Amino acid sequence: MSVLRDAFITGAGAFLPGPPVGVDRMEDHLGRIGGRDSLLGRRALRWNGVETRHYALDTDGRPMASNAGMCAEAVRGALEAAGLGRGDLRFLATATTQGDYLVPGHAAAVHGELGGGPLEIASFQSVCGSSLMAAKSAWLQVRAGEHEVVAACAGEFSSRWFRPEFYEGTALVDAKGRLRAEADYLRFTLSDGAGAVVMEPRPRPEGLSLKVRFIDLVSLAGRFDPCMWAGAAVEDRADPLATWSHAGPAAAHAAGAVALLQDFELLKRVIRAWVGVYLEKVDRGRIRPAEVDHLLCHYSARSLREEIVGLLEKTAGMIPEEKWFSNLATVGNVGSASIWVMLDAFLKSGRLKRGETVLCVVPESGRAFVGFMLLEAV
Amino acid sequence: MSDDVADVLRRLAVVFADFEGRLEATPLIRRLTRGRFTLDDYRAFLIGLRQQVKDGALWMSRAASNIGEDHLELRSTLMRHAVTEHRDFRLLDADYVATGGARETIETAPKNIGSEALSAWMFHEASKPDPFGLLGAMWIVEGLGSIKAAEWGALVRDRLGLPEEAVRFLLYHGENDADHIQEFEAMLGLVLPDPAVAARIVRTAEVTARLYALQIEEIVA
Repeated sequence: MSVLRDAFITGAGAFLPGPPVGVDRMEDHLGRIGGRDSLLGRRALRWNGVETRHYALDTDGRPMASNAGMCAEAVRGALEAAGLGRGDLRFLATATTQGDYLVPGHAAAVHGELGGGPLEIASFQSVCGSSLMAAKSAWLQVRAGEHEVVAACAGEFSSRWFRPEFYEGTALVDAKGRLRAEADYLRFTLSDGAGAVVMEPRPRPEGLSLKVRFIDLVSLAGRFDPCMWAGAAVEDRADPLATWSHAGPAAAHAAGAVALLQDFELLKRVIRAWVGVYLEKVDRGRIRPAEVDHLLCHYSARSLREEIVGLLEKTAGMIPEEKWFSNLATVGNVGSASIWVMLDAFLKSGRLKRGETVLCVVPESGRAFVGFMLLEAV
Repeated sequence: MSDDVADVLRRLAVVFADFEGRLEATPLIRRLTRGRFTLDDYRAFLIGLRQQVKDGALWMSRAASNIGEDHLELRSTLMRHAVTEHRDFRLLDADYVATGGARETIETAPKNIGSEALSAWMFHEASKPDPFGLLGAMWIVEGLGSIKAAEWGALVRDRLGLPEEAVRFLLYHGENDADHIQEFEAMLGLVLPDPAVAARIVRTAEVTARLYALQIEEIVA
């Protein structure tokens, strides 16, 4: 039996469409429901702390790129950062919340945009956590000796889903023209972009590489209902037989099932469940907070409520805020792409030194999922 | 804060998170969170909760009476807790009556299988000398008060359109137990460091959580 190999991130890339869009311009890109400004938007922005973000829609609502196209750009960027080219790539794992197509998988679309000869591909679809699902697949491909150069990418084109046509004339808008909070909140939370990493069985000859020590993924969907979802109306979301395709696309749209939705009440419980999973990792010694030099968390420290931070501090689980690196405030919450967009900016920041560890934490409210990736600079 | 206290608190936090997930998947709480909760469900819920609330102050008193002279501060704390809480079930009864239920029904309702097991376990543990493991049970029971009760209370009130006076027990608990971690930390400091006690506290929390969830699972309207 052959031995598992180590795998190293040798390059990262990010693609953010268009110029940064400030708070006051968001609805110029997304459009206004019933022609009116959102009432909820300000509150959502205060909570998520995002100041600027990028949209793949211009101010007339026209697309400047596709999800797959943005992913392909990010993969090219990561290959270039690794000192490699498209011809070196042998395996591509993709992640997204919503690909451009319903069928076939997103990896096929990204390969289509990337061009070139045969590749092994794998498509991962979930929400933010799909990024690490794809990364784990890519990592294991290298570890198992299947391929020498692999990439994991993630991309989102959320803004398409936030245009007025997705909501107007549906059960999500009340008689006074107000959009349900479950839908409106996400319009001010998510934005567009893509990111990617390249992995190889050895560090790059020059500069820093990141050895992947582990990628742990934990789903608690057996106990929690969908918390962020699309394809079902708010009331029936726990029943797979009540999802959109059973009603047909037109009826499902009218019922408010064809929209991205978030349950805030449930989110509070899901956050505590994430913290529970994290503390269990700490308790088992899998994660040692004192040995983490940098934390990249797809969630801002300031949006964690006081009692959660208090709990982490009292249980010796808190990683001090000065070790947190985040670009969430300037690039926005790009869903699955966020962790790679953040890692790319972190590597370019020059903060990382050889021998230091980087913990990436990707919670996904979709259905109570959380992923952890521990990296070591070599 | 010592590492010993932090270590136990962390393990207790993990037990509580698992407990919350288990509660989330019980039939009664599923109906509550999925918008299918009825007034009958709420009445059955109050009857189910009442058993442990009523027994809580009693096992705490018994535990206090079994705490030796080396831990008088902890004994005082448990006695104060028992005094504060031993009439709480009357509030629950009043909520029940405010929903239109008959007082006699809630006062005479039998314990369900989970409540029987939970009660027997608590009194059994409380009857041991220096029953420090019960701090783990308090973590679970008081965690429910500080974290879950207000959340459930708001859901019940909103789903059923009930007036506040019919949901006071659940709503009131959330408001009063906000500082429970601080207080709990101080109690742990009175019995730690001690590896055997630490292990017993965590184990008692695990068993209490499982039996409490069983009590909720067994609630049938």
